[in-house]
Amino acid sequence: MSTQTPLQREPHDRVGAARIELTRSRWLRATLRSRAFQPALMLVMLFFFVAAVLAGLVGTPAGNHNFAIVFVWIVWWALLIVVMVPFFGRMWCTICPIPGPGEWLQRRGVVRRTPGRLRSLGWRWPHRLRNIWLQNAGFLALALFSAIVLTRPDVTAWLLLGMVLLGVVLSVFYDNRVFCRYVCPVGGFIGLYSLTSTIELRVKDTRVCMDHATKDCVIGTPQSYGCPWMVFPGNLGRDAYCGLCTECLKACPKDNIALNLRPFGADLLVAKGRRLDEAYKALIMLSCALLYSAVLLGPWGWIKDWANMATFAGWTTYAAGFLAIAVLGVPGVFWLIALAARTAAGVAVPIRRLFVDLAYSLVPLGLTGWIAFTAGFVLVNGTYAVSVLSDPFGWGWDLFGTRSVPWRPILTEVVTVTQVALLLVGLAYSVVVAYRIARQQTASEAQAWRGTLPVSGFLCAVTLTFLWLYLG
Amino acid sequence: MTERPTRTAGRTRGEIVALAALVVILVGFPAGVLLYQFVVRPAVADVRTIDLLARVPETGGITPETIKVAAGEPVRLRVSVPDVTHGIAIGPGLALDLGHVDPGQVKEVRVTFERPGRYTVYCNVWCSPNHWRMRSTILVYDPARPDAALPSDAPDPVIESLAARHVDLDAPHEAPAVPARPFASERGARVVDRLGPALPADLARPEWRRRHSPAQAWARLVAAGLARDEAWDAVAHLWVGALDGARLEAVATLFRKNCAACHGESGDGRGPGAAALAAQGIGQHGGAAAPKKPAAFTRAGSMLGGTSELYYAKVRRGGMGTGMPSWGPVLTRDETWMLVDYLWTLQFRPARAPRV
Repeated sequence: MSTQTPLQREPHDRVGAARIELTRSRWLRATLRSRAFQPALMLVMLFFFVAAVLAGLVGTPAGNHNFAIVFVWIVWWALLIVVMVPFFGRMWCTICPIPGPGEWLQRRGVVRRTPGRLRSLGWRWPHRLRNIWLQNAGFLALALFSAIVLTRPDVTAWLLLGMVLLGVVLSVFYDNRVFCRYVCPVGGFIGLYSLTSTIELRVKDTRVCMDHATKDCVIGTPQSYGCPWMVFPGNLGRDAYCGLCTECLKACPKDNIALNLRPFGADLLVAKGRRLDEAYKALIMLSCALLYSAVLLGPWGWIKDWANMATFAGWTTYAAGFLAIAVLGVPGVFWLIALAARTAAGVAVPIRRLFVDLAYSLVPLGLTGWIAFTAGFVLVNGTYAVSVLSDPFGWGWDLFGTRSVPWRPILTEVVTVTQVALLLVGLAYSVVVAYRIARQQTASEAQAWRGTLPVSGFLCAVTLTFLWLYLG
Repeated sequence: MTERPTRTAGRTRGEIVALAALVVILVGFPAGVLLYQFVVRPAVADVRTIDLLARVPETGGITPETIKVAAGEPVRLRVSVPDVTHGIAIGPGLALDLGHVDPGQVKEVRVTFERPGRYTVYCNVWCSPNHWRMRSTILVYDPARPDAALPSDAPDPVIESLAARHVDLDAPHEAPAVPARPFASERGARVVDRLGPALPADLARPEWRRRHSPAQAWARLVAAGLARDEAWDAVAHLWVGALDGARLEAVATLFRKNCAACHGESGDGRGPGAAALAAQGIGQHGGAAAPKKPAAFTRAGSMLGGTSELYYAKVRRGGMGTGMPSWGPVLTRDETWMLVDYLWTLQFRPARAPRV
């Protein structure tokens, strides 16, 4: 069997060239360039955020009638995973209120561009933490307590407050959105799954950026701040770390920044920037989707009891099992899959490189797995939102006359069909992505197909596990 | 030169608007919500609202534990439930049952307690192993004499009488004899008709029957010359033959809601709560080898040796050292007698043959 060296990864790895520049719309361009654009949306979200915290702290402890649980873990989550991430990428990060207080204190203003530098101690974020490992750990830590967090309004409220506080504390020490970029447990997976989104912020012509001496998008202008996400748009090849804050749109004197509509999943094939921490995130997210489906939607009451911390020993067992599967089990199996793919394809790519690259093929299935999981509980529990809208604190209010609307599962007859369809679409897309990633590493199509086989087997096994959980 | 001041002013205005919005969201909104809920809402309510939080007893039960209300004062009781489905009712003698209250649900009832007394808010849905502890008290006082003793605190004459006679409510009362075949109160009716004046006069008096056990009545009938089985049938007729069907139907609901969880729907002592009590070790006292189980009203040996007033007293006082709660604060005396009558029907008109 001949061995091949990896092919040079070129920018044309990006799928196709089809892009529609949305910012050609004068209205949209003006809106995005307005200083009030992001703060206005953040303030609206802050209102709902405060309502959630208040409801969590002083409202009814019954989660199904508390705004904190129903609107955070059902409504927000569903909008995030079903609509925002697949179609708008990091749009949630644009409007998320959590970093608001820290950022506004640092800027000494909400809307305006305050003259001078940001007010912080100006420490440098440790180089070893300039990745998403902290976010991976944070997400797993949250996952271990998810059965409590998702059902207890007070815990949700304290979690939300804790995240705001952490954002504020970090903004005291570090410039810009260090919290969002390196710490936020939600931001990590939003970034990874945003690789699939149909929206991107890109420069129109990289040469313009290279020739531009002052790099206003990075250092800021009198009208705009330097990129809070610490990204140079001229190098931006993927959506993972662009928070769509639109500061660069406001800053660029060359009018070289555009918001584009693009094909779904375009960034998955961008080889530049693939990293082990992101690969691990893909594996963790896939594992968590499976584990959540089993724990929260499955018929095993004893696992639910363990997850609900009915006993410390039970929870410890649950936590150990959860971490063993998500951190060691699934990644370990996928390492063997990468090894098998290398052998099957007959390439000499370092196994770590192949493990990282092929892990991106898990993103479509992971995303559809999460959407399928979400559909399972949103269609069943979603109608709680109608009554909670009128009585957000569970105090017997009836703001909009919908307090007495009874809970009723909706579209239950299509839940399973929808889940199966989503998983099959995710599987098919993941296999295609796996092939195209393999093709980047191989000299021939035949090698790429052979390399794809073990990955496809893994993807099929994961899909079958999902189907087993949903179909019983 | 003319444009810049305008833009600066615009940004300043925007900043002021944003800061104002920030203050409203972070301070005004929470303050407004709390002010409305805890100050404005009670102030503008047409009647006083009393909030009751009903949780399983393991996490607090019904709070507040005691509420004081003036007789004749209309109040709104607002019950919210955070954990599991409860059934909230208020007794005695009010026929006030809010039905099931599901987690997160808020149910309200406007009520006026006309007479001073001690009322009990209780749960009538099996909600947890300690379900029977789930109660709170409403003290309804006479506004003219707020410190006067409440009428319902007056001693119960039946229980007083039993105490005066040194009747130990908790002592075993096994019947010396039990029927060999299922009861047939219709056949017993014919036996009683046939006896006519020969029926011992005491047995015909309801007061006597309340103070004496069926086993004692059976012994009198056997002594009067009846065959053993005939005597049991006659006893069955005397104890349940004249009971009013409609009243029994009403009290059957009372039994199902409040008693069946432990004693079972059929009264066989095998309700779902029985196992929970045993698991908690409730009833394990006095050096007993095994926990005392909920009474089986279908069991002839223990049932036929007891008297109506004994069961009346047990229901109202509760079982000492057992899981049997005190129902005196929940049921009227009349309801308690009806309940005792219903217990006899479980023995004398069982769905299955009586357990010996």
